[in-house]
Amino acid sequence: MNGLADSLGSPFFQRALVEAVLVGVVAGAVGVHVLLRRLPFFVVAMSHATFPGVVIASVVGFNLFLGGSAFGLLVVLAVVALGASKVLDDATVIGVVLAGSFALGVLVLSARPSSSRDLSAFLVGSVLTVTRADLLTTAAVGAVLLAALAALHKELILGAFDPEGAAAAGYRTALLDTALLAIVTVALVSAVPAVGTLLAVALLTVPALAARLWVDRVVPAMVLAAAIGAASGIAGLCLSAAFGIAAGGAIALSASGAFVLSAAGARIRR
Amino acid sequence: MAGLRRLLLDPFAVPFMARALVVVVLLGILGGVLGVHLLLRRKAFVTEALQHTVFPGVAVAFVAGQSLLVGAEVAAAVSVVLLHVLTRDDRVDTDSALALLVATFFALGVVVVSRSDSFQSSLTALLFGRILAVDARQIAETALLVVAGAGVLVALHKELLLRAFDPAGGAALGYPVRRLDLVLDLVVALAVVAAVRAVGTVLLVAFLVTPAAAARLWCRGVPAMMVGAAALTALCGWLGLAASYQASVHHGLRLAPGALVVVAITAAFLVIAAATRVRAALR
Amino acid sequence: MTAAALVLRGVTAGYGREPAVEDVTGRVEQGGSLALVGPNGAGKSTLIKAVLGLVPLLQGTVEVLGRPPAQARGQVAYVPQAEALDRSFPITALQVVLMGRYRTVGWLRRPGPADKALAAEALERVGLAGRAASRFGTLSGGQRQRVLMARAVAQQARLLLLDEPFTGVDTTSTDVLLEVLDGLRADGVAVVMATHDLSVAHLACGDACLINRRQVAFGPIQEALTAERLRETYGAGAVVLAGGSTIVTA
Repeated sequence: MNGLADSLGSPFFQRALVEAVLVGVVAGAVGVHVLLRRLPFFVVAMSHATFPGVVIASVVGFNLFLGGSAFGLLVVLAVVALGASKVLDDATVIGVVLAGSFALGVLVLSARPSSSRDLSAFLVGSVLTVTRADLLTTAAVGAVLLAALAALHKELILGAFDPEGAAAAGYRTALLDTALLAIVTVALVSAVPAVGTLLAVALLTVPALAARLWVDRVVPAMVLAAAIGAASGIAGLCLSAAFGIAAGGAIALSASGAFVLSAAGARIRR
Repeated sequence: MAGLRRLLLDPFAVPFMARALVVVVLLGILGGVLGVHLLLRRKAFVTEALQHTVFPGVAVAFVAGQSLLVGAEVAAAVSVVLLHVLTRDDRVDTDSALALLVATFFALGVVVVSRSDSFQSSLTALLFGRILAVDARQIAETALLVVAGAGVLVALHKELLLRAFDPAGGAALGYPVRRLDLVLDLVVALAVVAAVRAVGTVLLVAFLVTPAAAARLWCRGVPAMMVGAAALTALCGWLGLAASYQASVHHGLRLAPGALVVVAITAAFLVIAAATRVRAALR
Repeated sequence: MTAAALVLRGVTAGYGREPAVEDVTGRVEQGGSLALVGPNGAGKSTLIKAVLGLVPLLQGTVEVLGRPPAQARGQVAYVPQAEALDRSFPITALQVVLMGRYRTVGWLRRPGPADKALAAEALERVGLAGRAASRFGTLSGGQRQRVLMARAVAQQARLLLLDEPFTGVDTTSTDVLLEVLDGLRADGVAVVMATHDLSVAHLACGDACLINRRQVAFGPIQEALTAERLRETYGAGAVVLAGGSTIVTA
């Protein structure tokens, strides 16, 4: 475990720990809403859709969140426009658009000299290279997301549980839905430095799935999911240092491990 | 004219470019035939998930230095069956189960690959393929898989069509519907293996979904769609590879060939989608 | 003595612990016609699917032409409701009818000229020869139902099972379907149809089986579909009109 001992002393690792914890907490909490509103497919799809936006933003020097979210929005519009087709089902249209956008992202990145390294950083994260500025950004964005969730809490629950009732009560459900999708997309993009686009779905769904096995109410689930997310981040990083494996992958696997333990625990408790 | 010929034909005088084109055409054939069946069965979501679940098997085979074919085939078959079983069980929340499976399998693959010496280039090779590194032996293997896969689909054409259109009628006639489904899934696994070294797990979905979708919009009748999809892939493959070569050799711009082909296929789809709207409006 | 087309003895079928249909007993001779009558959810579809071998038999036996259903597949034709099929599917009317020939044609082979002639004849018989090349989905509801009937005709089966064949069908198509059914019966083909249209049941069928999960009656239609029996089956959904005839609203 020498790798681990050495790493703990390094400032890179310490920053990585903070980043992983921040991302784990935010993604975990947002993840509960992802499950409530049945959005796992959306998250998988969005992780492909935001990829070219994140890539182009990074190449051009633009803000990653804006770039990622903007492209995500573009993809949604394309899907809606094409989705009016009577012969192609929704999943096919989404598949076409996502595959195309993803290839676009790869294309843009391949034009740069350090392409392999950059590409893998975007895909599976490069948490060990985060700077203090990155940490501050993550913390700020995370705080905004959590604040938004807190402010809209009862409306989001109502919209998830009884959308027709919410509409009947006078809530603009379309706005609520859009707000939630925006929150999820931003959470996804904020997870990219830690675990990359392809693994962000792990932090946004698995800790929440695990938490739901223990508690039945939304707020405790959010707290537990946040804790599991943070713990996965820490465990993943330690495993990464100890065994020389990719940090992003280790973090995602730790989350899955937490789920498996929770599922086993649920069985035993019955 | 000579300029155009130079642009479009000269690149393929180079052996590795010619081989790349042959592979794309082969993949286009299997992708076209299989893609139309997947479209008729509305299996795009499962295909999308498949690229992630197949990844660890491919990664393990790669890192262990074994023939990628065997590892990929095993992983593909296992994940196809797993997805098949999961999506059939009504009690499991399919979306969540798929997200969990996708995340876990993919992370597993990433971790495995990271143990190899050249993590980043290995990762990109597995995800996006190395179409220019295809050798004659790989072409032979791909050709074999394509013939086998397409052959099975052609032989079972009418049964697969019946199952897609009227599963109850097919079952009433005595056809083993579940086994037909499994055959289709296994041909998907075959296609994954055929494509993975050339275009990688992420881009291969494009060869299965997009050409068939474009052909569906434009062509009438199932056989025409299959031919159309294969032709689209071949054409875009040709243009994409030529463009990638020219950019690299004459403009010093490195553009990933596999990705460029997929972008070309997607652009073709958008053009056809627009043309279909225009055609419908003019009727 | 020729085997009856269909013999049911104490048939109980369904999924899981709650059977959808219980204890149905009766027979349909070759050339006979049976109406399966009952409210929605009564188990008519389940019974048909049990005869087709698509739903597990929990108790009892089914015999088709003297054999277990699994052995008689080629002899039994299923005519589903046209609405159940995808209208956007890229398939022509003729191709749908040809599907009835698949089992005879066998695996790996393509339908030959004789099969195509049979299919064309069947389409002619339902009055849609001119629409053979049209996409199935472009036809009206009644026309699509006729195409599915033609498919069963092309199969040259000895027993036809129809699931609500007259629902949402225009009068022309209804007439055509009734005519074809009469012709088939004259050829010795037996017909079983699930329906909630009592007038059609009287027009097309000689026998009736009234079910509401359990069998209420099975026999010649005049005896089985009495007002009393109907009230027993449909409960409040059966209304007796002046003049004695009964309509059901379930």
